[in-house]
Amino acid sequence: MRLLVVEDDPTIASFLVKGLQGAGFTVDHATSGGDALHLASSSDYAVAVVDVMLPGMDGLALIEEMRRRRVRTPVIILSARRSVDDRVKGLQAGGDDYLTKPFAFAELLARVQALIRRATGAADPTRLAVGDLTLDLVTRRVERAGRPIELRPREFALLEYLMRNAGRVVSKPMILSHVWDYSFDPRTNVVDVLVHRLREKLDKDFDRKRIRTVRGMGYVLEA
Amino acid sequence: MSSRLDRLRGALGFRLALYYAAVFLASTLALAAITYVLLAASLRQADHDLITTTLRRYAAAYQRGGLPLLNRVITADRVAGRYEPVLVRVIGERSEAVYFSMPADWRFDLEQLAGEERRLGAAGWAELRSLDGNVLEIASTRLPDGTLFQVGKSTERRAELLARYRGTLLAAFLSVALLAVAGGYALTHSALRPLRDLTATVRAILQTGHMQARVPVRQPRDTLGELSLLFNAMLDRIEGLLGAMRGSLDNVAHDLRTPLMRLRSRAESALESGGEEACREALADCLEESDRVASMLEILMDISEAETGTLRLQKQRVDLAGVVRDAMDLYADVAEDRGISLHADAAEDVCVHADRNRLRQVAANLLDNAVKYTPRGGRVELAARREGAEALLIVRDTGPGIPPEDRPRIFDRLYRGDRSRSERGLGLGLSLVRAIVEAHQGGVTVDSTPGGGSAFTVHLPACD
Repeated sequence: MRLLVVEDDPTIASFLVKGLQGAGFTVDHATSGGDALHLASSSDYAVAVVDVMLPGMDGLALIEEMRRRRVRTPVIILSARRSVDDRVKGLQAGGDDYLTKPFAFAELLARVQALIRRATGAADPTRLAVGDLTLDLVTRRVERAGRPIELRPREFALLEYLMRNAGRVVSKPMILSHVWDYSFDPRTNVVDVLVHRLREKLDKDFDRKRIRTVRGMGYVLEA
Repeated sequence: MSSRLDRLRGALGFRLALYYAAVFLASTLALAAITYVLLAASLRQADHDLITTTLRRYAAAYQRGGLPLLNRVITADRVAGRYEPVLVRVIGERSEAVYFSMPADWRFDLEQLAGEERRLGAAGWAELRSLDGNVLEIASTRLPDGTLFQVGKSTERRAELLARYRGTLLAAFLSVALLAVAGGYALTHSALRPLRDLTATVRAILQTGHMQARVPVRQPRDTLGELSLLFNAMLDRIEGLLGAMRGSLDNVAHDLRTPLMRLRSRAESALESGGEEACREALADCLEESDRVASMLEILMDISEAETGTLRLQKQRVDLAGVVRDAMDLYADVAEDRGISLHADAAEDVCVHADRNRLRQVAANLLDNAVKYTPRGGRVELAARREGAEALLIVRDTGPGIPPEDRPRIFDRLYRGDRSRSERGLGLGLSLVRAIVEAHQGGVTVDSTPGGGSAFTVHLPACD
């Protein structure tokens, strides 16, 4: 799948391009609104990631122009401005999602994938499987290597989230927001405690540990 | 020059002074005109009275004693100086002059009156203009024997009197005009003084950038005085906000330096050691540190937006029991891990009009604090209830309590009691709680006994 990254800061651009390539996407990179418009109108991208602050035509103008030219590629706006107004402006210009800098790459990746899922209209599976781990969303049964595992609702929600993002790092704020629908920075280790509990039930009896801590970034469920 | 004139004309003070002077002068002028007209009329009346009485007297004398008696009476009058000089003429039936006497310095051509006489007939008034501009007023009467009897008087003295009066009036008018302009200027000058003060203050602030200047208030109770007071109050507010902004900017700068220093030192020491594992560790630390900085910025922005009233609140009916449930759910595992018993005591139907997510953030922050400071075996209670018109959200812990000297400052940004300095924390949680609650027209109070735990109470206006 092909993605377009529009970002003029070379460090951030290379971080995004490499990261997305690492996640299996083909990535084109533009450093100005004009180039980006040209690319977006000539080829078909699954998602475009657009920085608001660009030399010449800025990100919002670019998105508006894309929409005027009937380019329907879903767009994630990257911005250093965080106010509700900026967010609203971005979405009104035709953006599909809005991410405030600085962000964890995992967060961007999750949003890119969500947009792709939405655009392709892929049906939500009722059963998730990662290696010897299966999770049934309907019966809410979890099994590892055929052995049932009893999970409490929050642990179930966490595992589901990790399995949906198997092989990719999910950050603590992402877990906090997904499992509890809270977006703030707790000073106590709320997320670590839940991950620890899930680990206890999931990995304790197995040699191969599924949930790995990536220091400074978050957690990953090994595929 | 002309632009200066325009500015002068446009100046409020100048216009007011002009209006004032114009009204003042117009009334003076009207008054003067009325007295002048009245005076002229009464002088004229006096002259006419004199002429008619003289005419009557002389005619009576003539009728009684003929010319000799008339002569005697006139001579007696003149000698006695009782009357002002008059013209006396008696014309016989056949238009022959019977008697004529006129003061020597009068220059009237009585021939002009010849036609006039006939027109006048028996009696009446006539006027004769002399070559030197004086006017002779003549009253005539026809006696029964057919003679025409005339007495006239020059208006010269009257004209002189009126001229002198006009002169006096003019002098008076000029001094009044001077007074009006000066008075108008003085009046508007003093009335507009607060406005000038205001202008001077604003100009001083714009030119120097110092916000300390204030408008002097001389008469606090009048309209302009009130304006000055309000303006000063507004300056106070702006100065306060600027100070707060500068303060928070200082705080941010200060509190960013510490984590930035940590970032730097971690990176530096890792680079020096050169070990791959050390580098990995350092990078992970740097990531965590940078997340912390980002989250701190986020909170600082929230606080300053809440404090300046620019925080967007999506207000709706929020049931506090739900907020309590969510917060309990978030901390259940942590509390269990730490050996703290967590209790909820939320009455149903305690409802507030608030931004649900912000309120959840408030509850979570307070609970986070409580869980963090409560030792193993302690108890944390989260309660919601209604008291009168207020909805209360209470977080009570059995922690070490807050020393009285710390209590007033715990809501200050980045303030942490000494005890908590070693623990990880941003010290912003309580500031954010207070800022959000106050943005909802509520308040936060704290009750604490050292060693006996603390209770934070959020007071919000309850909805009906």
